[in-house]
Amino acid sequence: MDHTVVIPPDAQLAPLLRAYDRAVAAKHRQFFIGLAFMAGAFALACIGAEIDPGLFWEKLGNFTSYFNRLAHLDTGAVVLSDPAEWFWGLRRWTRLLGETLLMAYVGTVTGAVLAFCGCFLCSRNLVSSALLRIVIRRIFEICRTVPDIVFAMIFVAAFGLGALPGVMAIAIHTTGALGKLFSEVVENIDMKPVEGIAASGGSWVSQVRFGAVPQVLSNFASYAVLRFEINVRGAAVLGFVGAGGIGEELIVAIRKFFYSDVSAILVMIVVCVMLIDTLSEKLRHRLLAMDERP
Amino acid sequence: MLVIDGMSCVFGQTRAVNNVSLSIPRGAFVGVIGRSGAGKSTLLRALNRLVEPSEGRIHWDNEDVSSLSGRALRDWRRRCAMIFQQFNLVGRLDVLTNVLTGRLAHTPGWRSNLKLWSADDRAIAMAALDQLDIANLAPQRADNLSGGQQQRVAICRALVQEPDIILADEPVASLDPRNARIVMDALQRINRHYGMTVLCNLHSLDLAHAYCDRLVGMAAGRVVFDDVPAALTEAAARELYGMEADEVLDAAPTGATQPDGVPAGAASNASAM
Amino acid sequence: MTGHSPLRDAFLANRDRIADQHAALLDPGWRSRMGTIAIFGGGIVLYIASFFLLDMSLSNLIGGFRRLADIVGLMFPPTPETWSRFYLYLGAIGQTLSIAFLGTLLAAVLAVPMGFLAARNVVANRLVHLLARRSLDTIRSVDTLIWALIWINVVGLGPFAGVLAIMCSDFGAFGKLMSEAIETASDKPVEGILSTGGSRFAAIRFGVVPQILPVFASQILYYFESNTRSATIIGIVGAGGIGLHLSELIRVLEWQQAAFVILMVLVTVAAIDQISQRLRGAIIGRRR
Ligand SMILES: Nc1ncnc2c1ncn2[C@@H]1O[C@H](COP(=O)(O)OP(=O)(O)O)[C@@H](O)[C@H]1O
Ligand SMILES: [Mg+2]
Repeated sequence: MDHTVVIPPDAQLAPLLRAYDRAVAAKHRQFFIGLAFMAGAFALACIGAEIDPGLFWEKLGNFTSYFNRLAHLDTGAVVLSDPAEWFWGLRRWTRLLGETLLMAYVGTVTGAVLAFCGCFLCSRNLVSSALLRIVIRRIFEICRTVPDIVFAMIFVAAFGLGALPGVMAIAIHTTGALGKLFSEVVENIDMKPVEGIAASGGSWVSQVRFGAVPQVLSNFASYAVLRFEINVRGAAVLGFVGAGGIGEELIVAIRKFFYSDVSAILVMIVVCVMLIDTLSEKLRHRLLAMDERP
Repeated sequence: MLVIDGMSCVFGQTRAVNNVSLSIPRGAFVGVIGRSGAGKSTLLRALNRLVEPSEGRIHWDNEDVSSLSGRALRDWRRRCAMIFQQFNLVGRLDVLTNVLTGRLAHTPGWRSNLKLWSADDRAIAMAALDQLDIANLAPQRADNLSGGQQQRVAICRALVQEPDIILADEPVASLDPRNARIVMDALQRINRHYGMTVLCNLHSLDLAHAYCDRLVGMAAGRVVFDDVPAALTEAAARELYGMEADEVLDAAPTGATQPDGVPAGAASNASAM
Repeated sequence: MTGHSPLRDAFLANRDRIADQHAALLDPGWRSRMGTIAIFGGGIVLYIASFFLLDMSLSNLIGGFRRLADIVGLMFPPTPETWSRFYLYLGAIGQTLSIAFLGTLLAAVLAVPMGFLAARNVVANRLVHLLARRSLDTIRSVDTLIWALIWINVVGLGPFAGVLAIMCSDFGAFGKLMSEAIETASDKPVEGILSTGGSRFAAIRFGVVPQILPVFASQILYYFESNTRSATIIGIVGAGGIGLHLSELIRVLEWQQAAFVILMVLVTVAAIDQISQRLRGAIIGRRR
């Protein structure tokens, strides 16, 4: 015998294997039903989205040539050979990028403050009125389901072109997104401190201020910073619909085939977003490690 | 004087407190005993109005406090300070701020919410901490403290409320015996020194005998015993605690039969003063 | 100090001694709060300054709100006007869903090899993994709408560009998620398989993949959910889906129809949310 495991006679082994196969077969069947379903959905979606692999192959050359053109100045030189010419609009683009960051900042702060005010009012453990909770929850839901750029289009019609509609769109979308996250944090707090404050005669506001806020503050700040990061990306494209920031410059450059401008602006956006990502990640780690100091 | 008149608290099917009537004179140190689930916590929480009584009235010095609301309710809560088994401090705030939350009902909202405490309030809070020998802990975060220290902070919070009565819900159940003594001694000192009324839930008969001048026994939401500790015979205690009797009585082999724990408690108290 | 409770008087009686002993603790703490105050003050100043820097005046704001109220009034009642338009919008919603579905799926498929490349515990070569990480970050930091514009230049206007755009922006996110999931996966099963004499590939196939599969599947669903939202807007730049109609309706001020389309989007997104939440629950629940 060169096996350490003794192989039992077939009569004994067969039922065991069969039972195993049956169990596995059930799983496999489920898997294949899922797969078939996916394949069907895939085919349907291909028709829906007018997918044309032939076109893709045919145009794939365009893709490389497009990036090739992005990498060259009008003169035909490679962009890196003449950075001053490539970034000829540096001052203007920096100003627009700064404007974009400010839009994201004002929108995030406004939205975070509104979400902060609303989140305690829609938390089951702090508010007993179901009506109030549901109303606020619905408002948050609508605010976050409608994409910010749709709000921006509507606000451009009302407020005219400029940063104002963009800021408002970001603020509203942020209110909805943060409101949901905030209220989830609030619903998971330890209620003992809140009860302690209530028992010593604190008003509802005091119960929230001293019982709930210290527990949630670092989490809230971390979520708000994350949201700022997302909003910077969002603000960069709000200009597509005339709502301020660097987006307007970018869409004009793309539409008018100013290739080197497109690549220059894209590089600036990417660097800026990456910088903010890194900073915000550091900040969030510090925030979560820190708690409210007296 | 606190007068409870036919009070019941109903949660769905359970009558956690069932038609309880008691009157507690000023300056008394009353222990509430009974097995777990007897309704002791609910009784205390209903007095503070953290739980709404379903029936009955609560009077303090002829004032009906069971129908107060809003500002008046908050003032009543200030007057009956609550101490919890789990301390119920705000762990992330420092000790001094935790004590200062006892001043909330004395302070206008805009000041307290910005933490602009008056100099008097700060002095009072520090004095309270000083009295319980933990003034040096004032800048520490509350959740860095040991259980005994946290409960002393909670007592300070109760004291700076300038209450008329202290309701303590198993204040020492989460503490080791030494810290339990320290906390109970502190409550007794407050009771003796300021004539503060104390109503204290206790699981341990030993401590109940040592510190209380009157015991109220509860079972299934009803008051089934109400007398001086000496009157609680072992048989009565067994009846009160049922299945848990052995655990409670074993822990206090002398306490149940020899009700002379009071002088002992007073002695240790005298040394602490 | 008469008229106060004895407790208060008692506490304030030895005030001087306590002030002596604990002077530092009685300090209202302005100095220690300096940092917090500076950060908050700076934030508020920047906030107010932004209003000037961004040319957002109060009169603008007030006038705008009046017009906004008019617009909201014009939105009621939301209606598609004719049945044929309703079917048109329904078809566009279907196209939006197709775009989201295909984009997510393609991104997920492409992200798998990339995720392994970018995971520190799979590819030992620091350079490869750093390069993979950086390119994922770059791809991720370009918004879906920008990708859509680029792809329109390549394959022309239409939903195909939308699919490719969603695929690109999700590829970055998925790759990152995937590599993080792989890095945090427990290496005990891997060791177990290596200890039986399995190859490195087998170790990944049987040791890592079963661990990350449910996490990844639920992430894919989550992204499908959020891509449904993105897919509703890429039409704004001409990359297919309902966004095209929506932006057109807003441009020509057909507020009732625009409101109807927004409602359709809300309902669709809510429905997808529900379905994907159920599925995610099932996927994660079954594995427990
Ligand atoms: N908030 C509540 N909801 C429902 N039932 C409760 C609630 N609080 C207490 N009870 C019930 O009331 C009874 C008395 O509880 P409690 O007062 O905590 O007893 P004790 O403090 O004596 O252990 C228990 O049966 C408990 O389950
Ligand atoms: Mg209890």
